[in-house]
Amino acid sequence: MIQLLTDHVHNAYHSLRSNRGRTLLTVLGIAIGIASVTCTLAISDGVRKMVDTQVSAFNGRLAVVRPGFKSHDPNQLVSPVTQQSFSTSTLTDADTAALSKLPNVETAVPLMTIEGTIHAQHATGSNSVVLATTPDFAKVSNITMLSGKFLDDTTDDNTAVIGLQLAISLFDTDHPIGEAFTMRGQQFTVVGVLRQDSAPINFNNVDLNNAVVVSFEQGKNFNQGRSQIQQIDLLTKKSSDLSDATKQAKSKLLSQHLGEEDFSITSGKAITQPTGQLFQVMTGVMTAIAAISLIVGGIGIMNIMLVGVAERTREIGIRKAVGASQRAIVAQFLIESLIMSGFGGLIGYGFGYLSAFIVSIFLYFTPAFSLQTAGIALGMMIAVGLFFGLYPALKAARKDTIESLRQYH
Amino acid sequence: MPKATTSTPVIQLTTLTKRYGFGETSHKALDEVTLTIEKGEFIAVMGPSGCGKTTLLNVIGLLDRASEGDYDLDGKSVASLSGQQQARVRSSQIGIVFQSFNLIHRLNVLDNVALPLTYSGIPHLKRLERASEILKTFHLQEREYYMPWQLSGGQMQRVAIARALVNHPSIILADEPTGNLDSRSSHVIMEELSQLHKQGNTIIMVTHNPNLTSYASRVINMLDGKIASDTSTMPDPTAPKKSVKIPLNQHTKRKEKITKTTKTPRKKTRKAAK
Repeated sequence: MIQLLTDHVHNAYHSLRSNRGRTLLTVLGIAIGIASVTCTLAISDGVRKMVDTQVSAFNGRLAVVRPGFKSHDPNQLVSPVTQQSFSTSTLTDADTAALSKLPNVETAVPLMTIEGTIHAQHATGSNSVVLATTPDFAKVSNITMLSGKFLDDTTDDNTAVIGLQLAISLFDTDHPIGEAFTMRGQQFTVVGVLRQDSAPINFNNVDLNNAVVVSFEQGKNFNQGRSQIQQIDLLTKKSSDLSDATKQAKSKLLSQHLGEEDFSITSGKAITQPTGQLFQVMTGVMTAIAAISLIVGGIGIMNIMLVGVAERTREIGIRKAVGASQRAIVAQFLIESLIMSGFGGLIGYGFGYLSAFIVSIFLYFTPAFSLQTAGIALGMMIAVGLFFGLYPALKAARKDTIESLRQYH
Repeated sequence: MPKATTSTPVIQLTTLTKRYGFGETSHKALDEVTLTIEKGEFIAVMGPSGCGKTTLLNVIGLLDRASEGDYDLDGKSVASLSGQQQARVRSSQIGIVFQSFNLIHRLNVLDNVALPLTYSGIPHLKRLERASEILKTFHLQEREYYMPWQLSGGQMQRVAIARALVNHPSIILADEPTGNLDSRSSHVIMEELSQLHKQGNTIIMVTHNPNLTSYASRVINMLDGKIASDTSTMPDPTAPKKSVKIPLNQHTKRKEKITKTTKTPRKKTRKAAK
């Protein structure tokens, strides 16, 4: 049996070699299909890895409190915070203060975002997000400074830290320390620039690269003196405290909110769940689209195999006449198509990662390797080879021996 | 004129009918053929075109199934065999030689001869050894790595015969083996076949050429799917031939004998024969 198998492989190799151009084009078709699937999966793996790194960066010490009732609204999938834009946040300064006093909690950091247009001397920044938060924000996020310093207890309310991209578009420099800009009639001085890092997706979709960070008090000033907290990040002292801290925070907030559970506390991987779900759906859709090219490649295999079967009708007849069973003929042609799809798959897998890395030049994250992607690529190439090779192989095997021998080539 | 023997006949056909088409358009290629073939016979099947000679050979060679009637091979009915088992019988018991040689053009001579061994699960190297061995008995060893299209018609047919024999089958079926050959090559091929016959193989040969029947031990004439006559030209296949063999051409007659163990190089005579 194994003997016959190696014979088939040997045989297929020779017959594929004798039609090099044709084989190459077919393999290329499969390679493109597998490459597009691999590329999509590699990029989405990159996103997932990035999100996971952010969560694990705090060693499981981070919990996030968000206002509003728990909802399973599908809209949450796309934008986890839209519902809050229309209502006053249920989280208050008192909640922040109470949470930071809990025994296991190191710090509780409130976050609120404000809309505002930024005017510098020569340029105006639009689409920028203004994030108002406390100095402890530096502890709960993995931000690093490119120059200057982050807000701390000594900085005034009219100082701000800005993202690198914003610094370049406003001041044409990546070292704009001491430069001034106005926002909502108030003048601010830049004291620090954030390093361009992987954007923390879990902070209300804030793109820190293009954001202004001001003190929480200043944020309240912009909001008629009231806080509109969109998120409180809890950092526990030890990672083993996380579940205890989450429970304590929940009971504390419940008592403060008179038993109304108008907030939600998530921790660990659940923080990134909305983003994760969104990416999963998107990855699924994109992979499905990419798979179409794989199907086209598969049809290419089937087409070329049918041509091969037609061309070699006489050979099939001869083989049967000298003792080949139908099964042997099926195996011979199936192995041929599997070799083609296999080669295409291998080339496509490499090519997919190559193009993923090329694409990632324009993105803020790098593609990641995962066993799952390799498994999917492997599974797909085998499935395509089997599925699209089966019909031509069966057709070859079912050919009438005498009819086949009568064919002249 | 089947001989009365105690051993089971190699091939036993009983009222075998092969029908093509349906209803009114149906046509019987074989019409209730009953035939017994003993081991070691050399049978020449004659008859005009379309009389069912090739169909008979195809049915015996398990390339085709009869519509009605029984076919016992070595005392066992083939009707009950599955496709897989039939393939196994084809590969182990039957060797077929075609008029148009039917060599695979992609493969060289050695691989072509080794082809039937592929399907009996013999390792690659061993296959080539055996193919090389059998090619030697046909004095084609220096042509082993030629491609089929680089050979003459007679050489191709000898390669085809070598392929048919590589599995040591008990039955050799030849469908007009000399039909595409000139008289010189025909003669060589017939010598090879008669040599095989002498070694105890059963040979069934379809031919149009009445001259070739002189090699056979039994001649069957067919007409419209029926056996018209069945004459034994040589009752005892081991006895020296009594019938007069008519050489095709006095100048092309082969002077040497072909045996499996020939060791002396025959290059010169081969070239002279051409």
